[in-house]
Amino acid sequence: MSAMELLLWARGPGLAIAVAIFLFGMMLRLIEIYSLGRKRDLSVPRSPTPGSGWRTIVTRSLPHADTWRRSALTVITGFAFHLGLFVVLLFLLPHIELIRSLTGLSWPALPTPLVDLITVITLIALIVALVNRVQDPVKRFLSGAGDYLAWTVTFLPLLTGYMAYHHLLLDYTLLLALHILSAELLLVVFPFTKLTHTFTLFIARWYNGDIAARKGVAS
Amino acid sequence: MADETLLDILKRRGVSRRGFLKFCAATTSLLALPPSMAAAVAESLGRVRRPAVIWLSFQECTGCTESLTRAHSPSIESLIFDAISLDYHHTLQAASGHAAEEAREHSMKADWGNYLLIVDGSIPLKDGGVYSTIAGISNLQMLQEAAAGAAAIVAIGTCAAYGGLPHAQPNPTGAVAVSDIVKDKPIINVPGCPPVPAVMVGVLAHYLTFGTLPDLDDLGRPRAFYGESIHDRCYRRPFYDQGKFAKTFDDAGARDGWCLFELGCKGPTTHNACATTKWNGGTSWPVQSGHGCIGCSEPDFWDAGGFYKALSTPVNSVTGAATAAVAAGAAAGIAIGLANRQRKARARAGHQTVTIEDLEK
Amino acid sequence: MNSLKNIGVHVVHVGGNGNARAVLREVENLLQKLVEEGEESSIDLSGLPLTPEDYDLLEETLGEGEVVAEVHSLGPTRIHETGIPGVWWVTHYNDEDEVLAEFIEVAWCPEILLAPEDDVKDGLEALRARLFELNQEGGHGG
Repeated sequence: MSAMELLLWARGPGLAIAVAIFLFGMMLRLIEIYSLGRKRDLSVPRSPTPGSGWRTIVTRSLPHADTWRRSALTVITGFAFHLGLFVVLLFLLPHIELIRSLTGLSWPALPTPLVDLITVITLIALIVALVNRVQDPVKRFLSGAGDYLAWTVTFLPLLTGYMAYHHLLLDYTLLLALHILSAELLLVVFPFTKLTHTFTLFIARWYNGDIAARKGVAS
Repeated sequence: MADETLLDILKRRGVSRRGFLKFCAATTSLLALPPSMAAAVAESLGRVRRPAVIWLSFQECTGCTESLTRAHSPSIESLIFDAISLDYHHTLQAASGHAAEEAREHSMKADWGNYLLIVDGSIPLKDGGVYSTIAGISNLQMLQEAAAGAAAIVAIGTCAAYGGLPHAQPNPTGAVAVSDIVKDKPIINVPGCPPVPAVMVGVLAHYLTFGTLPDLDDLGRPRAFYGESIHDRCYRRPFYDQGKFAKTFDDAGARDGWCLFELGCKGPTTHNACATTKWNGGTSWPVQSGHGCIGCSEPDFWDAGGFYKALSTPVNSVTGAATAAVAAGAAAGIAIGLANRQRKARARAGHQTVTIEDLEK
Repeated sequence: MNSLKNIGVHVVHVGGNGNARAVLREVENLLQKLVEEGEESSIDLSGLPLTPEDYDLLEETLGEGEVVAEVHSLGPTRIHETGIPGVWWVTHYNDEDEVLAEFIEVAWCPEILLAPEDDVKDGLEALRARLFELNQEGGHGG
């Protein structure tokens, strides 16, 4: 198969398959989880503080002073690569064009050199996070195949995208095909790994804040 | 006459040594070789004999021939055409009908094993190849016969090189490329829709000059002309690198010459000489005129998504697959959810209350 | 066709794209080679993406020298020495005044201006033949 054939497959049937598996998997998991419902809480709420759930989503998105002290590196690399990934994915023009063709939505892009710099920072943050995970004895003990898989499928699209833009090592057509395929791999693997936290995270935080408020510790 | 060298032909036309040097310098430039190779080119051209050339036109629009005859280095072109013996070409030859076919057969026999075969147009295979015939002979048969005695084959245009427009979905005539049929002869692909005139002339010039095939890439294209992508030689590249893109044709960005990525330019994945050699004698080329590259020298460019949709967009719509997936996922999720609830209900129902007396029993 | 002429053409200058500077650096390298090793070379301008602004920058920086020459063979070839001695601008035209090729030659003298050796030998014979004829015509002396 030539590079061009691979690229056309990635932009054609490959994308359809990846998007289908991703949506199927996510629908399945979200409905599966939330259809279990909650046990009815028959007690009286300790303090009527509505909106605690929503506030918790914000407060838990910021690092706690305690967490800084205990693991500053985790906080820094975590924020760096999450924010970086967010910016690269949503504010690079070719990605916005892709989203526009899929959903009709679009917004202004950031200057490409800026996104390029952020990509480098994100890649470095990911590498530092991985090294830290492997070297720290507790983190290493807690890490399993799923963790390393999630890291790999997140790292590959960033790496191949950077390589494609800068024409590093391989022919551009092949690099672009690999970049799109790596993003499709991420999509396919997504619903079956911890990456689903992207969606479940906010619901979980809301729930925690709401329950805490019922028990008297409102946000 | 067929045994004359190019130098003999030039001398006969009264061209001086200086003129020959000028011709060699221009040919070296045309072949995209460094100027230091002009001496080698001169030496080769001084020795080369006049090969016979047969041009077969199959399922094509004649755009390639039109483009070639518009090649804007007339001195070079006319000299090259003087240098080759173009024995058969539908559009350019004077003969027609039986006389033309006889001329072709005669030329093939006379120079068997040595002639250069040029093909433009794709070859239809469906229904016994009946969709394109010449004098009652199918393209497939004519190609196989002519290829058998050729020294080398040049597949000119994307149709001959990769199938081109007839090959695009749904390919009703079963069109294929020359390289899909001929497997045992060296083939040079010179794609483009049409190819850049100077590139066509350059490939012929290379074969004339050196008698060998130029260095080819993995798609059979001469690296001298197809080695770089449009993107890598595009004068608008600084705007791509800075992230300045035209949003619509004729907006402020477009008028300032910004990058045409958003308007569908396929420059990054297209290999051709348009960005440097340009068209119409170096006048301009699509991007310079404000239109994105359509990728016409790449295989399946007609099926590579719209010409006006960016390279990062999908080739066809995924809405169908997406909707089906959401529905299926929801259904499966609800089914599993119901099953889970049933299990919970059954567990609750099957719960046996135990009193301390039961336990003490 | 008057209506076509009335369409205003707004010329926008996008500036050069830096390639002119690269060419000038290359000229510097080649000129150094000429000075140090006596090696002559040329740069093919046709293969490079140069905007009109780049050409202007090249011409302005190199300037004009003392020599202008024209060769008539297969159409005109126009040569001028740039303001930097040893750097020549050679443009080959065909009979219809279209550009065939364009080079910047770094040499003591552009190759095409030198008289070809074979031609000089032939020329000697031709001159001898003419002198012989002259003698025949004018008798002895004259």
